[in-house]
Amino acid sequence: MTRRPGGVRFHYKWWGLIFVLPVVAFFATFNLFPTLFGLWLSFTDYDLLSPPIWVGLDNFVNLFADRLFRHALANTLVFVLGATVPVWVLSLLAALVFDQAFRGRDVLKAAFFLPVLPPVVVIAVVWRLLLHPNGVMTSLTGGWWGITEIRWLADAALAPFSMIAVHDWAIIPFFMMIWLAGLAAIPPEIREAAAIDGAGSVRTFWHVDLPQLRATAVLVAALSSINAFQTFALQYVLPTDPGGPANSTLVLGLLVFKYGFQYFRMGDAAAVSVVMFALIMAVTLVQLWFNRRA
Amino acid sequence: MRTVIALGMAVLFAFPIWFMATSAFKAEAEIQAIPMHLIPWDFQGLAQFRLAAEIAPMWTYFLNSWLYALSHVGVTVFFGALAGFGFAKYRFPGRAVLFLAVLSTIMVPFQILVVPLFIEVKAFGWENSYPGLLIPGMMNAFGVFMMRQYAADLPDELLEAARVDGASEFRIFLQIALPLLLPALASLAIIVFIWSWGNFLWPLVIVQDKALNVLSVGLTTYTQPYLGQPMWGAAMAASTVATIPIAALFIFFQRYFVKGLTAAAVKG
Repeated sequence: MTRRPGGVRFHYKWWGLIFVLPVVAFFATFNLFPTLFGLWLSFTDYDLLSPPIWVGLDNFVNLFADRLFRHALANTLVFVLGATVPVWVLSLLAALVFDQAFRGRDVLKAAFFLPVLPPVVVIAVVWRLLLHPNGVMTSLTGGWWGITEIRWLADAALAPFSMIAVHDWAIIPFFMMIWLAGLAAIPPEIREAAAIDGAGSVRTFWHVDLPQLRATAVLVAALSSINAFQTFALQYVLPTDPGGPANSTLVLGLLVFKYGFQYFRMGDAAAVSVVMFALIMAVTLVQLWFNRRA
Repeated sequence: MRTVIALGMAVLFAFPIWFMATSAFKAEAEIQAIPMHLIPWDFQGLAQFRLAAEIAPMWTYFLNSWLYALSHVGVTVFFGALAGFGFAKYRFPGRAVLFLAVLSTIMVPFQILVVPLFIEVKAFGWENSYPGLLIPGMMNAFGVFMMRQYAADLPDELLEAARVDGASEFRIFLQIALPLLLPALASLAIIVFIWSWGNFLWPLVIVQDKALNVLSVGLTTYTQPYLGQPMWGAAMAASTVATIPIAALFIFFQRYFVKGLTAAAVKG
């Protein structure tokens, strides 16, 4: 307890409130308020010029008839699928390779980890060059069969898969690190016991490692899907034009941007973002449910 | 055998980064050479970096990125530690509710915020200005969450002893809690720096002036032809410049780097 001048007792617990106040005020202003404001906006028509008009559920009803929204929803789901299952498998395999000691492990692991370092925009710029129709990736893949031109980004059928490949390349080393942390937490005695019982490395993995990695698996699954639902910069910078060609890489995050900052349809933009939020919340709830069971 | 597999994986994943860094020193024609040149045959020195700074104000972008990232790191680290300490070590009315309110903001993705936040910041008159660029993302709820966990482990006896000695609560935070939280703060600082350095959407919507742009947004300039010519050399040079700060953090603080990213993933 400290004494204030005048003898009024000022209990030190109130200092706790003073310490948290700046942060609470900040989040109230720049997170909680805009979240609620955005929810309200999704029930209005607003173009930044004339005052917002309340339209009830119209924006949401219109979304499901909206061709762009249906494109974006389908593209996002395809992207999420491509950015999850292959990433889980490949990052786990990579972790199993780097989990055990061998010559040159530290250097090779650091090299493998490099894609985690550059910002997403850098990744998009570099891959835009590598995926030039007559560029380096074409010569490294199609070159073997005499193909000299592959329209990785200009072909609307191929572009979504190019996005997934680049995204997965950039994110796999990160998830490898998470798996490695999970593997490191497995008590070595369990593995030794399995080895003494004559279990081979494949059986040890299926029956010993994998059950122990349950919590890590839930984490990897949740992070990778939440991350993929929010994708934006990659589809903005990597394609020939943002979301192109022919809207084949238009994802929900990009549609929010398009409606909000190109068409100035703030109500529609907010409605799309509410749908995004609902999808992400659903993933989070599934994660919590699995965590409870794990 | 493992070495061979690992070598193949490392080459596959590292080669685009290698391609970027080496192409920054190649002449424009050599960048697109098929088969690809592993190292520059016609070494250009820093010519592509100078060209990048000529096409667009790259060094202004670079400075703005530093300003953006460092202000976010400074504010998140200091106020995150202060609030984390407050939530962990003091029992005041409303503590649980306020903490839950702060924590819940972690769950809201930025795309949900961007439209209403833009309208709000515009109403403040901060559109296309440093306050508008820097302030809305300055605090990160993850920092509060992480610091509360570390602050909870601080021994109460130590704080009580200082209190008996007549130290004010703020001095206890500054001179006892903060130094003990330093390793955790280092990890937090690295995570926040990486997140802020790569931030794209908010700087893209809130700023129109080139003089206010950060490097991640400025980079998109280089994918467009300049005076009718593709400028891939300049693009690779600017991309390299944008990667160097993070790469330096990785090289010099590898332990905190991996620890920080893992902690962020597990707890965030």
